[in-house]
Amino acid sequence: MKSAYWENIFKDWRKEESATVLTLKQVPIFRDFSNREFREIEKLIHQRIYKPEEYVFKLKAPGEGLYIILSGKVEIFAEDARGDRNVFAVLGEGDFFGEMSLLDAEPRSAAAMAIEHTTLLGFFRPDLMSLLARNPDLGNKILLNLAKVIVERLRHTNILLTQSQEKADG
Amino acid sequence: MDKQVDSWTQFYRLVVGLLMLGAVYVIWPYVSSVVIMLVFAFLFTTVLLPSVDLLERKMGKRVLGVLIITIAVTGGIGIFIGSFISQFAGQAKNFIDQVSNYNFEEMIKNLVARLTDKLPEFITANLIQGEGLTSKLTDFISNITSYFQNLLSVATSLAGSIGGFLFNAIMVLIFTIIILQNYHNFKRSMVKFIPNKYFEVGLRLTFNIERQVSNYLRGQFMAAASVGLMSIIGLLILNAFGANLTLVVFIGIIAGLANLIPLVGPFVGMVPAILIAIMNNLGNQAAITHTLIVIPSPFYILDIILMFIIVQQLDNNLVTPKLVGESVGLHPLMVMIALLVGGTLLGPMGMLLAVPAAGIIKVIAQEISFVSRNAHLL
Repeated sequence: MKSAYWENIFKDWRKEESATVLTLKQVPIFRDFSNREFREIEKLIHQRIYKPEEYVFKLKAPGEGLYIILSGKVEIFAEDARGDRNVFAVLGEGDFFGEMSLLDAEPRSAAAMAIEHTTLLGFFRPDLMSLLARNPDLGNKILLNLAKVIVERLRHTNILLTQSQEKADG
Repeated sequence: MDKQVDSWTQFYRLVVGLLMLGAVYVIWPYVSSVVIMLVFAFLFTTVLLPSVDLLERKMGKRVLGVLIITIAVTGGIGIFIGSFISQFAGQAKNFIDQVSNYNFEEMIKNLVARLTDKLPEFITANLIQGEGLTSKLTDFISNITSYFQNLLSVATSLAGSIGGFLFNAIMVLIFTIIILQNYHNFKRSMVKFIPNKYFEVGLRLTFNIERQVSNYLRGQFMAAASVGLMSIIGLLILNAFGANLTLVVFIGIIAGLANLIPLVGPFVGMVPAILIAIMNNLGNQAAITHTLIVIPSPFYILDIILMFIIVQQLDNNLVTPKLVGESVGLHPLMVMIALLVGGTLLGPMGMLLAVPAAGIIKVIAQEISFVSRNAHLL
């Protein structure tokens, strides 16, 4: 027979992974993290709930950090002067966006809006800064992974640029 | 229609705001002491947090870090207060022995005689009038003596104050331990209530306030430590010239702690040094007739004042700009206004909290201005 008393005493022994940790494991910025490191990161993550059509952030808003989609869908887009929407991507569960803002406070290069009931996990620059001061090893691991993500994107952009130049040349 | 809704919303917000202000005004007397305790606990947490975080990283368990820091800080304060009380009791006993063996009447008569010799005749004739001043001064001393005889009642009220202070100190300690242990969770729980629209701005505001307060406090504590050390060195130098000062380390620590209150603190630091100089040198003719170069400086009072002024100048021009720098970045006039307002509202405690509070208000004002300029982006 299961006793609630013993269940409570040994609840910390089970160390079951939360939905947050399972989602974080899909994000390349947290690649090769140990369970202990994930628990450390989990303490810094903010869970936010958005209604359909609610902005996560607007174009040119000062950026503070990265969002990971726990559930729901988010549209990444930019509007021109006439209000026409140019959709860059529709992201779903496990996808992430806004990672450049972890490094600087430059204005957002696109807007993000929830297109259904969405739960996001936010990881923000102030928390990364305090993590770097408290636990530099873990902070540096995140920065290195972030650099790898940005390098991958830069390489991909270079390939696309070369292809488009080749197409234009002939 | 929209305009009407907007004005109704504004009116509703105004009424809710006024009601909340009224509620705060009514409950403030009942909660003010707890709020002040929490503010102090928060300030201590800000100072101790980096050490706890460091220990957590080294030892893996936050609770161990909190335990070690708590034992170190309370132990240090306990040792300081304990040894201060025992040494001060010895000092006070010596002073009382000295006072009871000393003939004040004789000293006053000598003093009046010397004054009468030095002053022009018309002043002595009109103001001092022979034995009048002597009897008045003797009465004054006898009043003081009778006052000290009623020390029991003074001691009772003092014990009450110490009891109240100890209770507050223990409560602040408990709050500090709880906040230190759960600081990062507390912060996360607090920002949870910020609406999505203002979430990133709110996070940045929290981070900026935290950084502002922690830089300011850490700088101030390091500056206080340096003032304490310089004061100890200065007092030891004065002792080498025969100032006969005791409790030098304690005077240094008190001067350093008093330095945490800007503008007023440095002068508070001088007082114990001057009192000890008078207590130790009572009846010492060399100390009474001592001169600083050519200026009479009985009991080395001028020397002590000069030494503290030099320490203050070194602190203001060399140490504080390096350690505290532009962390708060308030105009000196604003610092003075903040001190006056803080002192009027909460006394010395208000003066201690005035500058960091003004710094926080400045950060909030900057963020509000930023938000209002970028409102269309939120």
